[in-house]
Amino acid sequence: MVEYSKTEFLIACASSHVRDGENVFGGTGMPLLAALLAKETHAPRSNLISEAGFIDARPREVPLSVADSRYYYGCSASIGLIETLGFLLQGGRIDVGFLGAAQIDEYGNLNTSYIGPYDKPKVKLPGSGGGNDIASSAKRLIVMMSHDKRKFVKKLDYMTSPGHLEGPGSRKKWSMVGGGPDIVITDMCQMDFDPETLKIRLKSVHPGYTVQDVLDNIMFDLLVPDDVPNTNEPTQEQIEIMHKLDPNGIYLGKGG
Amino acid sequence: MEDKRITLEEAAKKVSDGDCLFWGGFGFQRPPIAFSHELVRQKKRNLTIYTCGSEVDLEIMAGAGVASRFEIAFSAIEALGLSNNIRRRVSEGALEVEDYTNLAMAMRFLGGALNVPFMPLRSMMGTDMVRLSRYRGEDKLKVIDCPFTGQKLTVVPSLQPDFSIVHVQRVDKTGNAQIDGIVGEDIEGSRCGKKLIVLAEELVDEEEVRSRPDQTKIPAMYVDHVVVLPFAAHPMMCHDYYDYDLEHLMMFHKLTGTEEGWQEYLKGYILGVEDHYGYLDLVGWPRLHQLKAKKPWGY
Repeated sequence: MVEYSKTEFLIACASSHVRDGENVFGGTGMPLLAALLAKETHAPRSNLISEAGFIDARPREVPLSVADSRYYYGCSASIGLIETLGFLLQGGRIDVGFLGAAQIDEYGNLNTSYIGPYDKPKVKLPGSGGGNDIASSAKRLIVMMSHDKRKFVKKLDYMTSPGHLEGPGSRKKWSMVGGGPDIVITDMCQMDFDPETLKIRLKSVHPGYTVQDVLDNIMFDLLVPDDVPNTNEPTQEQIEIMHKLDPNGIYLGKGG
Repeated sequence: MEDKRITLEEAAKKVSDGDCLFWGGFGFQRPPIAFSHELVRQKKRNLTIYTCGSEVDLEIMAGAGVASRFEIAFSAIEALGLSNNIRRRVSEGALEVEDYTNLAMAMRFLGGALNVPFMPLRSMMGTDMVRLSRYRGEDKLKVIDCPFTGQKLTVVPSLQPDFSIVHVQRVDKTGNAQIDGIVGEDIEGSRCGKKLIVLAEELVDEEEVRSRPDQTKIPAMYVDHVVVLPFAAHPMMCHDYYDYDLEHLMMFHKLTGTEEGWQEYLKGYILGVEDHYGYLDLVGWPRLHQLKAKKPWGY
C-alpha cells in the first residue's frame, strides 16, 4: 500500500496523460511536475516547453515562473514568445497544454479572468496570459482544478478560454487549430468529454470519493457512465521521482 | 558615436502624464522595476501600460495610481498568488484593464514595429475576450473572414506607444543592447515605441559588443536613451546577473494583501528613498550579493 498526499496523487494522475514524444506546454506548479515526471518515466522523449521561450527544458530545480532562469540551464533553445506561442503553438506543433481555472462549464470552457459581473467585478483574477492561446491552438488540453461546487457552473462569469464552446462544430466554426479539452482532473475525480455531445463526462473517481460526492459538487448535469472505475493510485517509484524533481518541496510541500 | 547615457531620473522625466508605454520583461525575468519606482517618485498620472504579463511592476504602478489603464494578458505573481493591488484598484474603478492574450499583445507589438495597423491571429475567438471590452470598445479587436481563404481570424490593432521601456543585461554607451536567456516579447516591444529607453545592468565597451554581436538583441539605431543601473529588476531576476529575492517578494505579496500594508511598502521602499541606490541600500548590499547568479546556472 503506497502512501501519498493529495498533491502527489494529482501530479501522478496528470502525468499519465502525457504521451511519449509529445510537445508539452508545462507552465509551473503541479502541471510542471506532472510533465517532468512523465519525462522521467513513461514519456522520455517528451519535449517540455515554457511559453516564455524555453524549449526542451530539463530544469534541475522547479521554476516559480514560466520565465524563471531555472528553466534555462539544460534546455536546448531559449528564444521568446513569438517562437513558442506563435511558431510552435499557433503553427499547430504543440500536442498538449495544461491549464487551471477558477470556473469551468459543461463544455469545458474556462474562466481565469473575473469573478462577479464584468462591469463591476468582485475579484480580478490573473487573466488569460497564454491560456486562451493554448486552449485555442494546442491539440489537446488537460485541465487541473480544485473541486468546488462554485467552480463547476452552468454559466461562467467570464469565458476566458475556449473549451468545446457551444458543443459539436463550434470550434470548427472559428477555424481553431487545436482540439480543445480532453481531460479534467480535480481532487475528486477525472472527467473526459462525451464524443457525441462534447459535454463533460465522469471518467473515474479517486480513492476515498464516491460518484455521489462528485455529483454533489457540480452545478450542471454531469454525464455518468454505467461503469465508473477508481482512478489508479501512484506508484512508489513515481512518488520518489517527483521528490527528486522537487527536493525542497516548493510544490510538493515539506511533509511529502 | 553619440553617448546616450542619462540618469534614471532624467529618463523618467521624459515621460509625460497620460503617455502610453510598452513595458518590457516577462514574468519574473528582467522587469524594469527601478523605472516603475521612479515614475512613482515623480508622481506621474494616467499612464497606459502595454505588456504581456509583468507582475511586481504592474502592482506598483496600479497601487500608486501612476497607471490608470492596462492593456495586458496577465497579472499575478505566478506561484505566489493574485495581484492584490490590481485587484483592489479594479474593484474601486481606479484602474481599467483591457484583456488580451500573450500572443495577441506580442502581435500588437510586432504590428507596431512593422508599421502595419493590425495583425491577425487565431486566438480569442468564440470567447468573452471578443464579446466584452472596456474603454477600447469596438477598437479592442475584430473577428474577420480571411480575404484569401475565408477562414475566421481575430485581428488586433497594432501599438506604437510614446515610449518603450526595456531592461537588458548589457549595453554600450551608444545603445547596443544585449539580452541573455529568453527575450520574451522584448524584440517586438523595443521596436514598436516612438522612443526607446533601455535600462541595463552593465555598461560594456563597443568592442565587447562587436566581439559577441549575436547577443545584441537591440541594435543602437533603435535606442534613444540608455540608463545603466545595477539590480534594476530587484526583487525579480535578471538572467546571468541575479536571482529573484524570494523573501522580499513574499513580503511584498503579503503587504499588498491590505491597503495599509501596501501604503507601508510604498512609503518605505519607494517614496521613502531618494533614488534607486537608496532602495538598494535599504534592501542591503550583503543580501543583494547573495542573489548574484552562479555559473553555469544563470540564477
